[in-house]
Amino acid sequence: MKIGIKYLFEKKPSIKVVIFAGKGGLGKTTCSAALSYQIAFNLKKKVLCFSTDPQASLSDIFERDLFGKGEISLAENLFVLEIDADKRIKDYVEETRKKIKEMYKIDEIPKEVEDYIESAAAEPAMYESAVYDAMLEVVTQAKYDYYIFDMPPFGHGIRMVAMADLLSKWVDKITEARRQAFEYEAAAAAMKRQKITEREDMMLKELEDIRNRIVSFRNLVVDPNGTAFIMVLIPEKMAILDTERAIKMFENLGLRVGGVVVNQVYPSWIIEDPKASEYLKRKVSSQKPLLKEIADKFGDMIVGLIPTYNKEPKGFEMLSKVAQELWESSFTIENLIGK
Amino acid sequence: MPKEKKDSIFKAFKDTLMGFMIHSQVTSMLKMKTYTEYLFMIMTMGDMLGMPLLPPYYSLRLLPYMVPNIKSWKLRMLRDRDVTDIVVG
Repeated sequence: MKIGIKYLFEKKPSIKVVIFAGKGGLGKTTCSAALSYQIAFNLKKKVLCFSTDPQASLSDIFERDLFGKGEISLAENLFVLEIDADKRIKDYVEETRKKIKEMYKIDEIPKEVEDYIESAAAEPAMYESAVYDAMLEVVTQAKYDYYIFDMPPFGHGIRMVAMADLLSKWVDKITEARRQAFEYEAAAAAMKRQKITEREDMMLKELEDIRNRIVSFRNLVVDPNGTAFIMVLIPEKMAILDTERAIKMFENLGLRVGGVVVNQVYPSWIIEDPKASEYLKRKVSSQKPLLKEIADKFGDMIVGLIPTYNKEPKGFEMLSKVAQELWESSFTIENLIGK
Repeated sequence: MPKEKKDSIFKAFKDTLMGFMIHSQVTSMLKMKTYTEYLFMIMTMGDMLGMPLLPPYYSLRLLPYMVPNIKSWKLRMLRDRDVTDIVVG
């Protein structure tokens, strides 16, 4: 069976967003960078590689300081965004302060409001929301042909998907309460022949926008036609078990995993190489049953096989090699497990 | 008596009459509005009272519109209550 992201794209040409997810340190960032490279250099399409990982290493892989610098063009068609979520939160909070000061023409924010702003800014959930909001923002702007996302290890983004339904229903309830309060105020104002304040209507608009954002993010991640959600794993017992669990968890949330990329695979020809050390040969043969397990468990879901390299995949030269393998693997799983 | 003065006396009389007729309705509407508004604030700013119901990222967007009501809302929500509250409301 031929393996490669190429076949996934051929099967579903409507895919415009690829999300790489999985445990930390298994190669999500490498896969994101390599696929972006492939799309930009070989498909000649405009692509944005976006890292949402707080320990993002796109800067390391592309060998350039990209952190918090916005959308940076690295080559024709290749754009990278490594978001500085802390700065984004700081700006967002500052914007709220500014708005309050402007709305009420005050120089200092009331203490109880300032206390609230400070505690809200320190909430861990703030970080996630800010990152996913940024993610949604770049996709909505529709400036690129493809978007490749490097997601943080399980949990965060997924919780957002799980929460989306609940949250949007909650926002509906909130909107209902707001509308009711607005109606009472409007009735009272009409009786007194007064005009109603503009602030009420603005609040309903904000609520509608919040709801749209939450729902759009969920739709973006779970859309099986436009988005490929790909898990990255390595041939190790723990990674296999975690991936299996994660796939079940995602499916329960209505999120269909579009494929699995197996990274750090030792090519089987090493065993026949007389120059290869015993240590390496043992390593290759110990990998065989694990690869067999991967083939049994994930079968058709495997969309990528990336060999392990003797050098870290950094810089365009190495990335082009990884990109080639990820796009169309030079070996098959049958080669590796010896069927 | 000049015409303007006549008009203003007539207007004051009309407003007073209207006030008698609708004052209680307006007050009850505003009371209902305040209660619904308090409920709305619990739903959105609940974390101020230890009830985190909406992620703070979204609460912050609504915060500017609620600034004038926060102090009175917190006072009302957090004040001690006793048996006379049932009578007074």
